[in-house]
Amino acid sequence: MNKLKKYKLPLIYLVLFVGLLFSLFPYIWMVLSSFKVSGEIYTQLIPTKLTLDNYSFLFSGGSGQQRNFLYGVVNSLIISIIPTISVIFFGVLTAYAFRRLKIMGYKIYENFIIYQMLFPGVLFLVPLFLLMRDWGLINTYTSMVLRYLIDPWAIFIYIQFFKTIPESLLESARIDGASEFQIIFKIMVPLSKTTTAIVALFTFMARWSEFLWPLIVNKEYGKMPLSVLLALFTKGGYQQYPGVQMAGATLLTLPIVILFIVFRKYFAKGINFTGLKG
Amino acid sequence: MGSLNTPYSIIFGGEFMRSEKARKNIIGYIFSSPFLIFTIIMWLYPFIWGLIISFKEWNLISPNQPWVGLQNYIKVIKDPMLWIMVRNSVYFMVVFIILTTITSLSLALLIKQIPKFKGLFITGFLLAYVSSGVAYSMVFNLLFAGDGMVNNFLDIFGIEIGWFTNPNIAMASIALIVCWKFTGYYALFFLSGLNNISDSLYEAAKIDGANAWERFIKITVPMLNPTFVMITVFATITSFNLFTEPFMITGGGPMNATKTLMLEIYNRVFSLLQAGYGSTLAIVSGIITFIFVWVLRKFIERDDIYE
Repeated sequence: MNKLKKYKLPLIYLVLFVGLLFSLFPYIWMVLSSFKVSGEIYTQLIPTKLTLDNYSFLFSGGSGQQRNFLYGVVNSLIISIIPTISVIFFGVLTAYAFRRLKIMGYKIYENFIIYQMLFPGVLFLVPLFLLMRDWGLINTYTSMVLRYLIDPWAIFIYIQFFKTIPESLLESARIDGASEFQIIFKIMVPLSKTTTAIVALFTFMARWSEFLWPLIVNKEYGKMPLSVLLALFTKGGYQQYPGVQMAGATLLTLPIVILFIVFRKYFAKGINFTGLKG
Repeated sequence: MGSLNTPYSIIFGGEFMRSEKARKNIIGYIFSSPFLIFTIIMWLYPFIWGLIISFKEWNLISPNQPWVGLQNYIKVIKDPMLWIMVRNSVYFMVVFIILTTITSLSLALLIKQIPKFKGLFITGFLLAYVSSGVAYSMVFNLLFAGDGMVNNFLDIFGIEIGWFTNPNIAMASIALIVCWKFTGYYALFFLSGLNNISDSLYEAAKIDGANAWERFIKITVPMLNPTFVMITVFATITSFNLFTEPFMITGGGPMNATKTLMLEIYNRVFSLLQAGYGSTLAIVSGIITFIFVWVLRKFIERDDIYE
């Protein structure tokens, strides 16, 4: 029995370590393969010689078409950063109006937000596409970001945080002559740094990985985000270039992995709220 | 009312309160008007429009949009493809729930016992969660290819599996890769569930003579009920909305084995331009999802976990 106990902990570490290797293997393989020459991708786990050809192929625009992946990165950043800023701004503003100013009917609105999050997105796909088309927004950045500018989920978690701020703090600011707008940006926003980090992290990650919506509303290669460009590249005439595919996949994965590692502290805090994120 | 104690309310009394309330209301409505307008235009209006289109026959372009009543709905329900897709989704659900519960619960139980490097392991296992659909679909597509790394390895034992080409297991393979993505994520929920169970419960059970297995079944499992519910609900919603993985890897094949409602809606509307039929399919998909979630929650969710 005692002998068993002695080996128990090292054994757990061993199992966890092996499990972690399995979990990280697809990433490791992806990065290694992106530097391999095409002959070695299926046969050789550790490459015998490294090459940057796959990456230079990506950035030189493939076979001379306008599928430049550098634009893809820029486009992905555009359609990720704009909604992230907007979601935070309107999230703070709306949550403050509901929870702190307690506007008429705020309880109804707050309940509505929760029901809104439970509605499956599939119901909105076709009519929203038609809306974009009728407004003449197909093939524009606007169509790709518009529906994501306000997120009930962000309002919801700001409400949760604003609940915890004592009203006396706001009252004394009001007595000092602060406008509500000043209270929001001088008191509420600095206090809710953690919440903002959570909202920013999850919104950015979701928009960066977004695939279906930009696939539908934009057909111009020059405006495609990385995810769509890469998918069409893979499904198109480039199937025989697995190395290039993996270089692209690395490019798509790397930014959010780095973001995650840097902000992992907030991630663990925010994860409790993600169950509700649609 | 917090404002009752401020000097202003003491001096001006009730009148101040009333005007203060009106002021907050006006400013509050100005602040929240973007959200309210946005919700009407980008949420309520499309929702109603989607309902209306589902009763029409329309090819997305023609100005002619005749009402066809329930015809689309009857067509959807009579189409054998619907039931194939529901079968695929249920298959995904079952495999995903079983796999993910096993992997993430085991992971949580293991991580709970270690004194050091907890954060390191959690971060490591969560890395899979942040991968984007397109990227990891591409990676697994190559890893699980006929002559890919995994099959080359299995070849040593004389096994060859058509991960995405055998219609009987293609959907299970997709469930497997989605499980890869979510193991660390649900382990985190299981871990916080485990941390919420007080040691006194286990001590009491030990005194009553319960062995380790009995303690696990009678205490741990019921206390983790919220996470089981989360996995089940997530699996249900995901199974019908699965798009990126089958789109990237199988295209719905082989023999429709990985066709999902989302994939079919995409094909119907954006390839075949059947807007009416596609909208009907979306609504039917929403209803089916709702029924599945409702029924499964009835079976799994328990309120009496603290008894």
